[in-house]
Amino acid sequence: MDSRSKRNRLLSWLLPLLAALALPWLFRSNQYNLMLLTTVLLYGVLATAWNIIGGMAGQFDLAAGGYLGLGAYTAGTLLLRWNITPWLGMIAGGIVAVGFAVLVGYPLFRFKVREVWYALSSAALVSVLRVVFLMWENIGGPTERYLPFHQFSLYHLRFGSYIPFYYIMLLFLASALLASAWIRNRKLGYHLLALGDNEDAAEVLGVDARTCKLKALMIYAFIIGAVGGVYACLYGFLHPNFFSSSLSLEVSILGIVGGLGITYGPLLASILLVSARELLRASLGGQLESLYLGIYSIVLILIALFRPQGIASFIRVLAARLRSRPSRSRV
Amino acid sequence: MQSIIQNILNGTMMGCVYALIALGLSLIFGVMNIVNFAHGEYVMLSMYFTFWIGSLWGIDAVATPLITFPLLFLFGLVTYYLVIHRTLRQKYVTQIAVTVGLMTLLRAVAQIIWKAQPRALPYSVIQGNFVLGDYTIMLSRLVSALASVASILLVHLFLSRTWPGRAIRAASDDLDAASLAGVNYAWTYALAFGLGSALTAVAGGVLMAFQQVDPTMGLRFGLLSFCILALAGLGSTLGLLISGVIVGIAESLAMGLWDPRARSLVVYLIFVVVLWLRPRGLFGRK
Amino acid sequence: MTSDPLLEVSGLTKKFGSLLAVNNVSFAIQSGEILGLIGPNGAGKTTLFNSITGLYRPEGGSVRFRGVQIAGLEPHRICKLGMSRTFQVLQTFPSMSVEEAVRVGAYNRHDGKEALAKVDEILAQFELERLRSTRCEELGLAFLKRVEIARAAATEPSLLLLDEAGAGLNATELAELMRMLKALREDKHVTLCIVEHVMKMVMGLCERIIVLDYGELIAQGNPEEIRRDPKVIEAYLGRRASR
Repeated sequence: MDSRSKRNRLLSWLLPLLAALALPWLFRSNQYNLMLLTTVLLYGVLATAWNIIGGMAGQFDLAAGGYLGLGAYTAGTLLLRWNITPWLGMIAGGIVAVGFAVLVGYPLFRFKVREVWYALSSAALVSVLRVVFLMWENIGGPTERYLPFHQFSLYHLRFGSYIPFYYIMLLFLASALLASAWIRNRKLGYHLLALGDNEDAAEVLGVDARTCKLKALMIYAFIIGAVGGVYACLYGFLHPNFFSSSLSLEVSILGIVGGLGITYGPLLASILLVSARELLRASLGGQLESLYLGIYSIVLILIALFRPQGIASFIRVLAARLRSRPSRSRV
Repeated sequence: MQSIIQNILNGTMMGCVYALIALGLSLIFGVMNIVNFAHGEYVMLSMYFTFWIGSLWGIDAVATPLITFPLLFLFGLVTYYLVIHRTLRQKYVTQIAVTVGLMTLLRAVAQIIWKAQPRALPYSVIQGNFVLGDYTIMLSRLVSALASVASILLVHLFLSRTWPGRAIRAASDDLDAASLAGVNYAWTYALAFGLGSALTAVAGGVLMAFQQVDPTMGLRFGLLSFCILALAGLGSTLGLLISGVIVGIAESLAMGLWDPRARSLVVYLIFVVVLWLRPRGLFGRK
Repeated sequence: MTSDPLLEVSGLTKKFGSLLAVNNVSFAIQSGEILGLIGPNGAGKTTLFNSITGLYRPEGGSVRFRGVQIAGLEPHRICKLGMSRTFQVLQTFPSMSVEEAVRVGAYNRHDGKEALAKVDEILAQFELERLRSTRCEELGLAFLKRVEIARAAATEPSLLLLDEAGAGLNATELAELMRMLKALREDKHVTLCIVEHVMKMVMGLCERIIVLDYGELIAQGNPEEIRRDPKVIEAYLGRRASR
């Protein structure tokens, strides 16, 4: 790569990053907008992680809500019972999520078990977890479990303003993007993409389907579980509704619409769709909650039918036209 | 003990209806290797159509399939050509995405139009019970079960005796061989999709004789049919019926003996356990 | 000159329900040779291939590759051991470019920069450099076939099995394919086993041929012998007569 395109590449990451770092200052007095930004970043993290299992490995996962909830309850319970800081709780949350993921994935990732069953059982997992935590009075239960409130505590990860949460989420997003890009450009990424495209062909080229899918699943589950810890602190309480099927659905839609296997795709989708959703909710109120899911699903169907490479591919084409020579670099 | 047997009886009857719904799903899955995630929503749609027709024209719920069957068949065809057909050349993930999108869309539309308020038809000719020893058999359930079994039998005959039916069977038996021979399978797929969807009309009709419908029905019937399909595997109509009855009984026992909230939990658990231990299903051939 | 065969198939049997697709087939492939596998439609050639390469589990018999039992092993393990294959119905990676598809194969034995070097080497070898950034779903048949072979070659196999690679190609494309396959054997020492209907390719490329009919091995020999073998003639003619 020549130095000019190297510089361009660097700028294409650096500029948005600087913008993202500066953004909270623009809205420092508007908590609502800050919440919106933080939510966009959150979904960006979830969808970017989803891309690893869904976009690369080709497994339509519907369990994001399950791993998120597990991470939240793990970190939250550790904080409530033993006053362990969520910074450590996050890691524990990630590990618990991974444990569950392996439990689900291991029997299902046998060669020639059809992918639909994975999709369906991951969806089932979320619902099972929700009912389990509803009935498990000791750790869960139907009422909210409140986390200790602090105006500003780095240890407890509680803040009176959304600004610190924004930066934490930004950190998560950067990590998720880095992880995704790192995988994408290496052996694991290529193996996963091959599996997602054509499992039979991939296998005879030496790709170990089960191991690769498990690796992808574990990385994805860890990221979601870890951010679950932040999620709990963001809301300030624990509740079985964290095991949300609609959140899982949304995350998968963002992953697909963004562009399967493209690192920054899900983030793009998240920015566009989640902002649209929040604006819709603000202007139409809670009555038309289902409307945004309806719109999401229409976008999903349209993208799947007419532009399966996702909206990130529009950006690519645009960038290529601007550079006026065929695009060869991959992000 | 008495309540256990009562629950088993009820569960068996409901199970037959569930099996019919699952049969529709299995037709589509067997031929195209696509699970229509929106299948449960089609049942819900059938029920709403039945409600409309029943309220507007006073037709009894059990007679409505005469109208809703062709309607849902058409709906299935349209869905196939509009939505599914294009995605068959894409990655598998995209194929799943499209039916997931359809499911979400239908559910959202139902919620917007009908809100959370359940709808029900006031009267049906099959109301009433009769008593068999210590046990009560509700006529509505019994008729539904019999109608479902009859429909399943008809479909089975269709698949084994008629030419389009056998084409569907052939396509489902060996996708690779069919594509090798260059068979134009698009119409087979469309037929399977149409028929699979239309079967939900029969189930929807009989169900409306004694149940209400609300926008969350899609989730419930979807889950039941996926579970039965997983339990049964592909290739045996009888196996599907048996699996339907098993799931129906399990659901009924869970509701009666444990907790009404646990009704779906039990189905989920069966589903997950089957996939873990025997993904081919109890009666599956592949 | 090794005395032990590279691939040894003994008594291989594969059933689908009650249908006996492959019945007690035994043959061997010597290192460095080009073996042809022919037979009328439905003779069981692809089933035999699939049973050797791990896509199907045979009901009976054994397959020894370099002395190792491979019957029933998963396909990716078999690839690691050094056997690779192409498919009769092309199995492409629709969303990948030619370069990326070959890279997947290259990762079988290499990683990092070595893999990229291997990709360049393979693209040059198969004259695909011009098309390296083209997505697989945009390619025509002849190039798709070439990519599929290149991809398999990138895994650095000792034995490459080709399932009807010659089908649907015109004379020029066929000649090019045969040239590249010969080079693959000469320069890279890859043993080839080809399932074929295109007789020109079989007679022009193979040193030895085995013939399958109704799942059974009915003849073995060099092209001349096979051409004149009455059982072979019967198998092909008999099929044509009964249509």
